Amino acid sequence: MEHEERYYLMMMGALDDELPDADREELTAHLDGCADCRREWQALLAIDTLFRQTPLLMPAVNFAERTLALLPSSRLRVRALSAVYLILLASGIVPLLLALFLVARYAPILQQPALVERVVTTLVNVGRVAATVVGALLAGAGRFVAEQPAVVGLMILLAGFVLLWGGVLQRLLAQPAPIRVRNRG
Amino acid sequence: MNDEQVWLERARRGDKNAFGQLIEAYQGPVYNLAYRMLGNAGEAEEAAQEAFIRAYTRLDSYDPAHKFSTWLLSITSNYCIDQIRKRRAVLLSIDEPLPPHPALHSDNNKGPEAQYLAQEREALVQGMLRELPDEYRQAVVLRYWYDMSYEEIAEVQKTTVSAVKSRLFRARRQLAESGMGRGLVPAEVEDEVMV
Repeated sequence: MEHEERYYLMMMGALDDELPDADREELTAHLDGCADCRREWQALLAIDTLFRQTPLLMPAVNFAERTLALLPSSRLRVRALSAVYLILLASGIVPLLLALFLVARYAPILQQPALVERVVTTLVNVGRVAATVVGALLAGAGRFVAEQPAVVGLMILLAGFVLLWGGVLQRLLAQPAPIRVRNRG
Repeated sequence: MNDEQVWLERARRGDKNAFGQLIEAYQGPVYNLAYRMLGNAGEAEEAAQEAFIRAYTRLDSYDPAHKFSTWLLSITSNYCIDQIRKRRAVLLSIDEPLPPHPALHSDNNKGPEAQYLAQEREALVQGMLRELPDEYRQAVVLRYWYDMSYEEIAEVQKTTVSAVKSRLFRARRQLAESGMGRGLVPAEVEDEVMV
């Protein structure tokens, strides 16, 4: 009913102590004569009292200490992840921008077939040189492994140490394990 | 500069002990909010811890122009709403009976009768809160336990003041009906009432 809605809004204002005096008097007068609204008001008051008297609950003992123990790596982890994210982002965006810049800068030259042919020939020659160098290096490495097995073993050992310390660092940066503490009993 | 601002400044620079002071100061409000929203002591503790961890990792985004408590409670209540939605997503019934808060059956400072009454009241309050939609429950808890203004609740709920008033209005009507259904209000109403 419309009158109920109007007086209900007044009741809300009264509960929040935001009802002007004139409205408060009008509401009081209305409640004196309307049993339905009086009942609603008493229900609202009862709820208001019940909720206001229900105390703030506290967590189990040592909550602060246990929570503090979960913090150490969190900010470090977020910063490390942010740095990695930025590096990954930059590693994608920077070459893209560079490629776009080069295309825009040299587009007129690339439209000349003779020049394009020369560029391709040059790239092929560079590739051949690189393949020759890599082949020579691999052949040299093969000979080195055959002639110096002790040095190779030492290098493998060092690589193992690097991987081990990498794992330790990863653990330090890892997110804390999910908390499964229950404070019953 | 008060203690809280000093702790915040030090925590921003990575001082965990300073943040520990903030945890000590706000553990009650944060835990209570999580418990009122989730209705379960274990989940509430996890949610409270997660809220503090999130606050710590996001301290750089905290705007000192606003109250720290409002910001922290905002993180907590939004995390709780996410948890409730996830809980529904895995088809766990919200109506299943939840264990009462441990403090209610282990408070040795109260006599048996007082403990019983406290348990009854707590069960009644949590039962009524559980019937409310999430946003209504959030508004009611922030209003009654934290005495937040409409503006502060709007800030937490990321909505308008009029939406908050509407939520509180509807929530209170629903709670009043629920209260009458549970016999909270006597059948015979008084002839005169005070406003």
